[in-house]
Amino acid sequence: MIEIEHLTKRYGETIVVDDVSLRVEEGTIAVVVGTSGAGKSTLLRMINRLVEPSSGRVLIDGRDTLSIPEDELRHRIGYVIQAYGLFPHRTVSQNIATVPRLLGWDRKKIAARVDELLDLFQLDPGEFAGKFPHELSGGQQQRVGVARALAAKPAVLLMDEPFGALDPVIRSKAQDDLLAIQRRLGATIVLVTHDMNEAFHLGDRIAVMDQARLLQYAAPAELLTHPAEPFVEQLTGTAERPFRLLSLTRVKEALEPGDAEGEALVLSTTLHDALARLIALGKDALPVIDASGKAVGRITVERILAHGRLPA
Amino acid sequence: MSSLRPHLSLDRLGSVIAVLIGVALFASPFVVYRANRIVAGEGRMLTAALPPAGALGIILTGIGVALCAALLRNPLPRLAAAILGLATVVPIVGWSATFVTPLGNTFARVSPGLGFWLLALAFALLAADALTRLRLGPWVRLAAIAVAAGAIALLLLSGAWNDLSLLKEYANRADSFWQEARQHVWLAFGSMAASCLVGLPLGILAYRVRRLRAAILQILNIVQTVPSIALFGILIAPLGYLATHVPLAAALGIRGIGAAPAFIALFLYSLLPVVANTITGLNQVPAAVTDAARGMGLSPRQRLWQVELPLALPVILAGIRIALVQNIGLATVAALIGGGGFGTFVFQGIGQTAIDLVLLGTLPTVALSFATAIVFDAIIDLTRRGPT
Repeated sequence: MIEIEHLTKRYGETIVVDDVSLRVEEGTIAVVVGTSGAGKSTLLRMINRLVEPSSGRVLIDGRDTLSIPEDELRHRIGYVIQAYGLFPHRTVSQNIATVPRLLGWDRKKIAARVDELLDLFQLDPGEFAGKFPHELSGGQQQRVGVARALAAKPAVLLMDEPFGALDPVIRSKAQDDLLAIQRRLGATIVLVTHDMNEAFHLGDRIAVMDQARLLQYAAPAELLTHPAEPFVEQLTGTAERPFRLLSLTRVKEALEPGDAEGEALVLSTTLHDALARLIALGKDALPVIDASGKAVGRITVERILAHGRLPA
Repeated sequence: MSSLRPHLSLDRLGSVIAVLIGVALFASPFVVYRANRIVAGEGRMLTAALPPAGALGIILTGIGVALCAALLRNPLPRLAAAILGLATVVPIVGWSATFVTPLGNTFARVSPGLGFWLLALAFALLAADALTRLRLGPWVRLAAIAVAAGAIALLLLSGAWNDLSLLKEYANRADSFWQEARQHVWLAFGSMAASCLVGLPLGILAYRVRRLRAAILQILNIVQTVPSIALFGILIAPLGYLATHVPLAAALGIRGIGAAPAFIALFLYSLLPVVANTITGLNQVPAAVTDAARGMGLSPRQRLWQVELPLALPVILAGIRIALVQNIGLATVAALIGGGGFGTFVFQGIGQTAIDLVLLGTLPTVALSFATAIVFDAIIDLTRRGPT
């Protein structure tokens, strides 16, 4: 768990981060969004003390980060940046082994960990362990960057625009992979982005920042239904909001009893995708089945639209 | 349709080389004969410089190489032709010296003439061009320089050149030659080592402490603009003072003239390239890499040794290479203030108008610079590839 308390950063007269407090629960993803220059990265970099706060403090699992020596603190926190920052003179496996080596793990344990991570990120150890970063594609470099950050099993992972340099197709795959790995490892992640879709896709909670201030920190749906300020509404895309809301809701929550003709939808489908099918097939209703294929009810256009309605 | 017409395409550089070879073969003296080491010489054309078989051999080789240079595009046969040319002409000029020198005359001097030099130049140009086009890897280049050095050593040891004036000058001064060679190497490489010892930490300091950077570079830039002779001169006064007033300095061999001021001047000259390239090298380490290194908890010292210096190494080595080659040349001037080195022969030779003696000092200096540059370039390439 990360607790950020009244964190402020000033450079002379300029305030870059202004009295921000928020709390990231164990095993969840908090996404920090905002326009460039909003102070997102500075906030992130104060968590591992790459930037020293002017005032306020950060607690990780209840311990004030100021009470831990800088280097030791960073060994325990994974850090991923947009440009990855892979060491060009070291191989993939040497890059991944960076922090375990600093921690003095024995050779066997490091080798086993490197292979485990390469497998986890779908990079064949036989092929990739000995390669140098310049021999990798952008997507592979990104995966190695995340693998390197996870090498010493940190409880916390900080990611600064980790997908910013990827093209859209690879990006959404990388986001899905990250979600899967996070669910599996149960890591606590703070991720900075300016891409709203990414924020809604990944965030258990989203922090919206503007001009050094934290405007709202809430679950994605709440951000859409109850934006704290006009800027939040604007940032989430005024016209897009109903659709985003539908993307966050599953068929399960709009299910009604009864039957319908046509191709069945699965309970875990998002309302966004369900509506898309209904429109495409020109239907008002479709049957719904559960994961085992048993019919459980139906979904209607009317119910879906009701879920996309925003409070006045 | 001119493109369909069969035609011979001439290589541009090759044509120039072919013309050079032509001039060398038919319009220039192959060797110069002098009755003694300081009088003016008279040129001997190929036919007068060698027995008919030798002259014919050189003419045929020369024409063959000229044709290869002008007509062939593939660098490999061009390189082979150039090497064949050099391997023919270079030993034969020694034979020519033996042939031209009257039997039993120890005063007469025979030195390579314009024709020989033009041929050597043409072949060397052809070889250099072919080598550039072949883009050889660093290991092959290191092997090539080793083979070339071995071939030259073999030629000198075989005695094939013993009747050439250059080798006669050498024979008269064999002891002092090697002593001056050691001195030259000591001046050039020793001062370089000293300036690495000082320059690397200074460069790292200037990189870390931004405010010092401009000041340090400014001072070194000013040092660099002082002409070498002037710098040697400037150092004479303070070192002389030191020697007379500090017994330890005198005991260490520090004097107003001699090797000490030369060593210090060369040290000062080589400081700028080392410091400047250290700063540049460290500066061009990508910001993302240093940021990631900090973020992963590498201490400043670990960042320096594990990330920044390895990545800056090729640029730092390039600085050392520049300084070293410059030092090897500049060390010649040390002789003027009694510092020794190959310059001793150059200045003695100028004093006696004995051009062979000048060459005895010049040729080893050039060869040393050349070999150093090639070896360093190869090492730089090797460090660029990253450890394997």
